[in-house]
Amino acid sequence: MNSVATFEVLYTQYLKQDGTLAKPLPDDLNNPDILKDLYKNMVLVRTFDKKAIALQRTGKMGTYAPITGQEAISTAIGHALKKDDVFIPYYRDYGAQIQRGVKMSEIFAYWGGDERGSDFACGSEDLPICVPIASQCLHAAGVAFAFQYRKQPRVALACIGEGGTSEGDFYEAINVAGAWNLPVVFVVNNNQWAISVSREKQTATETIAQKAFAAGIRGLQVDGNDIIACRTIIGEAIENARKGNGPCLIEAITYRLSDHTTADDATRYQPEAEVVEARLKEPLLRFKTFLMRQFGWTNSDEEKWLAHCAEAVQFAQDEYLNAIPQPASAMFDYHYATLPDYLIEQRAIAMEEAQNA
Amino acid sequence: MNIFNLPDLGEGLPEAEIHEWFVKVGDEVTADEPMVSMETAKAVVDVPAPQSGKIAVLYGKPGDVIKTGAPLVGFELAAGARADKGTVVGNLEESHETFDDNFIIGSTQSARTKTTPAIRILAKKLNIDINLLQGSGEQGLITKADVEAAALKLNTPPDGFEPLKGVRKAMLTSMTQSHQEVVPVSIFDEADISAWLPGTDITVRLIRAICEACLEEPALNAWFNTQHSARKCFKEVNLGIAMDSDEGLFVPVIHNAQSLSDDTLRTTINTYKKEVQARAVKPENLKGATITLSNFGKFAGRFASPIIVPPMVAILAVGRLYENAVVREGKLVAHRVLPLSLSFDHRAATGGEATRFLGAVMRSLEK
Amino acid sequence: MPDITLVEAVTQALAYELAHDENVVVFGEDVGKNGGVFRATQGLQETFGERRVFDSPLAESMIGGLAVGMSLQGLKPVAEFQFMGFIYPAMNQIVCHAARMRNRTRGRLHCPLVFRAPFGGGIRAPEHHSESTEALFAHIPGLQVVIPSSPKRAYGLLLAAIRNPDPVIFLEPKRIYRLVKQPVEDNGEALPLGKCFTLKQGTDITLISWGASMHETLQTSKLLDEQGISAEVIDVASIKPLDIDTILASVEKTGRCVIIHEGAKTGGVGADISAQIMENALTCLKAPVVRVTGYDTVMPYFQLEKFYIPSVKRITDAVYSVME
Repeated sequence: MNSVATFEVLYTQYLKQDGTLAKPLPDDLNNPDILKDLYKNMVLVRTFDKKAIALQRTGKMGTYAPITGQEAISTAIGHALKKDDVFIPYYRDYGAQIQRGVKMSEIFAYWGGDERGSDFACGSEDLPICVPIASQCLHAAGVAFAFQYRKQPRVALACIGEGGTSEGDFYEAINVAGAWNLPVVFVVNNNQWAISVSREKQTATETIAQKAFAAGIRGLQVDGNDIIACRTIIGEAIENARKGNGPCLIEAITYRLSDHTTADDATRYQPEAEVVEARLKEPLLRFKTFLMRQFGWTNSDEEKWLAHCAEAVQFAQDEYLNAIPQPASAMFDYHYATLPDYLIEQRAIAMEEAQNA
Repeated sequence: MNIFNLPDLGEGLPEAEIHEWFVKVGDEVTADEPMVSMETAKAVVDVPAPQSGKIAVLYGKPGDVIKTGAPLVGFELAAGARADKGTVVGNLEESHETFDDNFIIGSTQSARTKTTPAIRILAKKLNIDINLLQGSGEQGLITKADVEAAALKLNTPPDGFEPLKGVRKAMLTSMTQSHQEVVPVSIFDEADISAWLPGTDITVRLIRAICEACLEEPALNAWFNTQHSARKCFKEVNLGIAMDSDEGLFVPVIHNAQSLSDDTLRTTINTYKKEVQARAVKPENLKGATITLSNFGKFAGRFASPIIVPPMVAILAVGRLYENAVVREGKLVAHRVLPLSLSFDHRAATGGEATRFLGAVMRSLEK
Repeated sequence: MPDITLVEAVTQALAYELAHDENVVVFGEDVGKNGGVFRATQGLQETFGERRVFDSPLAESMIGGLAVGMSLQGLKPVAEFQFMGFIYPAMNQIVCHAARMRNRTRGRLHCPLVFRAPFGGGIRAPEHHSESTEALFAHIPGLQVVIPSSPKRAYGLLLAAIRNPDPVIFLEPKRIYRLVKQPVEDNGEALPLGKCFTLKQGTDITLISWGASMHETLQTSKLLDEQGISAEVIDVASIKPLDIDTILASVEKTGRCVIIHEGAKTGGVGADISAQIMENALTCLKAPVVRVTGYDTVMPYFQLEKFYIPSVKRITDAVYSVME
């Protein structure tokens, strides 16, 4: 038998666990402002994340999916995408969403049971948080098709968990992306856990990245805790797609340092030793070390920024908690461009009930 | 395309060499027409066209060796050779039946009223036909305010009108009910009271006359039950006496009038008169009348067709006492007369019973 | 003006909209060069090019999700599911996304897409190719479901569906794809969605149907005419949003109603119409509303399918039972 095709998965890391460089910084990131910007965004996301968990635990918000330990991935995405691009998240992408104009109070509102949380005031074309696993990948392909159809230099980027790559929609999406050479990038947040099902149980592939080859597209791996690697590789994939060189799948390897959602208890299945080890690898720790050593980030800078984040997050909390609740009529008014006949009476009944309550 | 393979040209020959083509690509050939001559080991043989059609491909040039069974000539598919079935499964029935369908979009009638169940209930309660309302809510929805406004309008009289209240309203109800149920007949006559001594109490005499007439003709001292088509005649005379006041008409009842003395009757009447003015008549004294007397002639009027109030079946109305020219024993004389109008419910009493009753009243009065 | 069949009317409508709206794209399996397995997209790729009319890989959920994504960017995809029987893998995309996007973003995003599929039985096809499960979609808030029953209405309704800013499931009754021809002017005039069509006015009984069953219903009404029973025939056309006002007005006039549909009885669209008639016009009814439908069985293979599909006899029997 002759070998008719071979494939190779390349792995990229710039910043090691101890905060030292594995290889020189890429030129375009060798810039203290950009690096500090990336760090500050990650800190904001972590602050936001902590607050969100607290809100849920104090009964002020519903079930929430934390992003603890995975901040580098969505921060890199948010930083790399251009304004005109479209982001298609799943539900652990706050770093990108916040950078791209979604208000923190809107994310609170979404998990807090208010649909207005997806009506981004900034008016972006980004898609809302997606719950049906992997279905967003096809939306990303559709959005990318529109860019290609209209010959626009825009890119669609979808994010998905490693568990999601078992879904049919994921395979169908990367397949059509490849078949049509769509300007779309798929980023897999491989945080090792799909609720309680470990990465090993999810699929027999050695890497998630290699699933790309089944679709005939490029597949790459990065250290998901390394903001430099994430930013670089994701950025390259986006620009490549923008040039018309087609789709790419990037697997970012990290660890879920929280429960799946606030309703879950990860201590039931995440081995403690593993978690302890993973905490040492988390993205903010190593990057702060690096910035302090190499780019003059000081404790004072840290304190000031944390204070700023606390204030911003508090503001968001207040905005969320003080929002005037939607009227009962809101249940009806957004299904179609115009309210259909058969909803008129139903709407009135609901409004009556709300009035008398 | 239909490919024609080189047939076995004889005795299992494995191959043959193209000697000469008689056709070229694009030619239309008919079946059996010679296409090509092939040279075998033994001979040069003409190969005829296996079908009619257009030559699409020639699988070699003179000198080429074609193996038996290998492609020799390709024929184009004739037009319509494989018709497009227009489906990938099953069979679609096709017809060339044309029909022009004329249709109306929607309906010719106006849209249904739209409102909530709670508002429908309110409308029913307030006696409003919700289908006649115009909705002021979104998309023509009928609101609570719309129903309440309609109810207000229904209950508000037009400009200048004052709604009847209290006793007047009671009269309205009573008269309406009587009109709907009762079949009234009125008989008119006059009683000659020239024989009366001066100072005779008119009302007491009238009451006495009625009591005597009730004894003689109890059919008019009765109640009629419409639902059961039944009547109840009374022995006692509970006489309702119509009394006018500023507020309206009251009819207090003298119970067992037939058993009371004239003095008692007079005192009772006077007491009632006072009570009526003071609006202090006890409720039980307004109930239970079996027959009514209405002395209406104080100001004007001789005869009337008084209204019977169910369940009673009769009412005697007395007009203005006056002096009339009457004929007695062939001579014209002036006598005081009392005009009488008796109305009775013809569902419950006959004309005979009524006239006998009136006759008895007159005899009593003319004593 | 040539006479055209229902499926040709579909093609005509697609061609019109492709010509007049740059945002319209037509895709699905085999719709390109092959022109669709029923030739519904015949010639479109030739005329408008592969950029506008193209084949997709074989993946139904993908067809659904792609259409969602495309429409979010303002394209107007008209995506074909080759048969209704193969729409089910896309249910997640249709129910969780297409139907919901406008509502869950409070209007920021919406999906102006059309999903077309041939539906219904009676063409002696293998299993899974004869589905009539429109009730599944009628139940979903945020969707619209449209079923034409004549070439004219197919043309006008498809134009309306494509132009509509919200998702439409456009189900084409394949049994009558080529059954009749009509002159259909290619004038780009849409018919309204959310309106029933009264095909025949009558006074004794209201017959309500849609899709291929319209054919048997009209035949029944002609038969009844000969027997002196004047039937009013209504083509629902828009299953959702349902024009209940027209139906009620008719039932108020006739006092009797029979609903005919090919889909299974339980939970079928006829059940909803019947309930609404009862809720709003009970005192007008002289008899119960009767439904003549497919049985509560899986659509049989084609040897038995003629017993499943509501026949003229079954419809007339139902009419007689209601006209005591």
